[in-house]
Amino acid sequence: MIEIKNLSKIYSKSNHKVVALKNINLSIAKGDIYGIIGLSGAGKSSLIRCINRLEEPTDGDIWINGVNIVKLENKELRTARKNISMIFQNFNLFSSKTVFENIAFPLRLIKTPNSIIKEKVNELLKLVELTDKANVYPAQLSGGQKQRVGIARSLASDPDVLLCDEATSALDPKTTKQILSLLKNINEKLGLTIVIITHEMEVIKEICNRVAILEDGCIVEEGPTLDVFTSPESYVTRNLINQDQLLPNEYLKGKVLTLSFTEKSVGEPIISRIVKKFNVEINILYGKIEYIQHKPIGKLTVQINVNDDVLKNIILFSEKNHVQVEVLNQ
Amino acid sequence: MSHLIELLYPSMLETLYMVFVSVFFTILLGLPLGIILVITDKNHIVPIPWLNNILSYIINITRSLPFLILMIFIIPFTRLIVGTTIGTTAAIIPLIIAATPFFARVVETSIKEVDWGVVEASISMGATPIQIILKVLIPEVLPSLVLGITITIINILGYSAMAGVVGGGGLGDLAIRYGYHRFQKDVMIATVILLVILVQLIQSTGNKIAQIINKK
Ligand SMILES: Nc1ncnc2c1ncn2[C@@H]1O[C@H](COP(=O)(O)OP(=O)(O)OP(=O)(O)O)[C@@H](O)[C@H]1O
Ligand SMILES: [Mg+2]
Repeated sequence: MIEIKNLSKIYSKSNHKVVALKNINLSIAKGDIYGIIGLSGAGKSSLIRCINRLEEPTDGDIWINGVNIVKLENKELRTARKNISMIFQNFNLFSSKTVFENIAFPLRLIKTPNSIIKEKVNELLKLVELTDKANVYPAQLSGGQKQRVGIARSLASDPDVLLCDEATSALDPKTTKQILSLLKNINEKLGLTIVIITHEMEVIKEICNRVAILEDGCIVEEGPTLDVFTSPESYVTRNLINQDQLLPNEYLKGKVLTLSFTEKSVGEPIISRIVKKFNVEINILYGKIEYIQHKPIGKLTVQINVNDDVLKNIILFSEKNHVQVEVLNQ
Repeated sequence: MSHLIELLYPSMLETLYMVFVSVFFTILLGLPLGIILVITDKNHIVPIPWLNNILSYIINITRSLPFLILMIFIIPFTRLIVGTTIGTTAAIIPLIIAATPFFARVVETSIKEVDWGVVEASISMGATPIQIILKVLIPEVLPSLVLGITITIINILGYSAMAGVVGGGGLGDLAIRYGYHRFQKDVMIATVILLVILVQLIQSTGNKIAQIINKK
């Protein structure tokens, strides 16, 4: 669906250059809700804005439905853009137009007959549950309502791809959940491919089936969300995932592991088996349950005093029993 | 009293005629000029930096000339356009030439108020530059444009008082001829009152319209 090949983006200002993206390769399948996460300045906005060429890529190709977006001229690019919608952190609604006219805008651009516009916009208003706000101006809406208008507007042209640049960052947690579940709903109902840029792990956990971690303009890790969460490979990823469970340093003595229990391993007394099998003592430091796309993952951070060889065996044993192990300290 | 009205009435009509026609052409020329000034900027939707620089330069030159001097300076041009250099119609040309650059800057300032994010949203929906101008930029700043037009009308009214120099007539001319040269204080005062009322009327109408169309 979306193939990004060797994408680079360099911002040149007079004499100094900022390398925002270095040789990015990504493959996003039809129907994916693909999350791209990274810290501030990692290059997330640059990446998503290259996809519809709000920023010009410096190098590389971006194939969408077999068309190389990078190579398109003005007119073809405009046509292609109707197929790649975008929603924004600040919503970017037209303040001079009613909710109805905001949503109708993409259709007016292609001179759609009024009767069809009316039908289509009313349908979209229903989808985002704003039928009663049709004739209201954006200034009278809450943030969540504004973003729902943004979403409806982005769907008016029947796109295949929806790009979301920090679409929920200006919203409170509850409204964020509502918007995300609306996106999920659209993804399922319309088969829309969604690309989400965010710095919030919660967003990824909530709806993304795949995730890429961006750091300093490079993708450091990529894969199904569940896998990345249960066995993060890079330091950056671990930091992003464990933002909320920073253990005080004095507890990081000996071997500290985080065990992740997924569907396959809940209900098995793994801890007590490890204790018996390896004859070790386990000190539980921290435990919680996380939901990734509504599937529970149990996370347990434990401390064990063993040597490296035994540790290796414990890890092997755990993984054989479908428990992912992440070593925090050794 | 009736003698005052007899004097004021034709002058008032001349003034309204000068102002109306000048405003019409000033908007006709200044609006596109102001928009071009914005969109040809190197970071806008139709970047043409050299054109932007040239226009900006010309506007600055025109705006640095005092109206009185501009009016005399462009007499040959006025003759070329309207065939004469004196009379009410002849006064309209310098009025337009003086007000257009001013109005273009007013438009430029207004259009620049449009949040760039909104422009990007339109670009991302595949809007053409023309569509962005007509369906986004202008509607988004319409209230501010209305206020800009209001200021421009009042400005033109002010300039038009100097039109007496080229025999343009109008209220300003009347005040000078009767109030100044013939010491008829009542004519002077009546003219001033009339001008004050006119300005108030224009400003409050402009404010009202801007307020009604403002949806922010
Ligand atoms: N228009 C620009 N001109 C010059 N440098 C830029 C421009 N836009 C972004 N950059 C630089 O490129 C790098 C990546 O920026 P980008 O906005 O893509 O990061 P981000 O991951 O979206 O960050 P944030 O979470 O803060 O939005 C940063 O170093 C930034 O300073
Ligand atoms: Mg960003």
